[in-house]
Amino acid sequence: MKTVQYTITDPVGLHARPAGLFVKAAAAYESGITVKNLENGKSADAKRIMAVMALGVKQGNQIELSVEGPDEDIAAAELEAFLKEKL
Amino acid sequence: MGFWEGVFKKKEMTIVSPAAGNCVSLKEVPDPTFSEEILGRGMAIEPSDGRFYAPVNGTVSTLFPTRHAIGITTKEGVEMLIHIGIDTVNLKGEHFKAHVEQGAAVQKGDLLLEADLQAILEAGYQTVTPVLICNSEEFKNITPVENGQVAAGDAVMRVEL
Repeated sequence: MKTVQYTITDPVGLHARPAGLFVKAAAAYESGITVKNLENGKSADAKRIMAVMALGVKQGNQIELSVEGPDEDIAAAELEAFLKEKL
Repeated sequence: MGFWEGVFKKKEMTIVSPAAGNCVSLKEVPDPTFSEEILGRGMAIEPSDGRFYAPVNGTVSTLFPTRHAIGITTKEGVEMLIHIGIDTVNLKGEHFKAHVEQGAAVQKGDLLLEADLQAILEAGYQTVTPVLICNSEEFKNITPVENGQVAAGDAVMRVEL
């Protein structure tokens, strides 16, 4: 399993549009991916939009991705790059 | 579930309009997040009234602190999102009032949110409101059934479960 931690800098947080783009990116991998809001301890399947939005991730919150599966190395690396670029 | 639904085992769900207004295709919404169906399939409404009601029976699974969008999950597992206006997250809750809390059980027709449409327009934002199903890929068919003017509570979409 690979984990990635990242602090959200997008002023709107992990809200509708960014959540949609993030979930779309995560859904491209075979690995199971969990996203946790370290601020409130809630976690969700990163491939489900409603669950990700329900985490209530705001600007300044730290999230942790847990990636487990056959493509976990590339998924973790690419999703980390995605977060840094877009969120 | 009604008697006839039980008899025919009809696996279909009707979604009603959350607001009065004009139904349009999601593809006409001027934001690729919606028009390209990144958040899911559905329809949109150009509201003529700022009161938004529950389009289904379910639970409020997400209510943004900015009160411009709300998610409702039904017992059949349909995850609905109502997103009032475009880029209205930037209003940070101004001109929006919530009548429910995250986690609340709601019935079709319950008042969810109120938006001051005039103030939102004056602030430079469009009020067109996508009504969509986030987990669209889990359902066989999602069919908008209405085009044009509707009242809140009119059937606007059918989902084949």
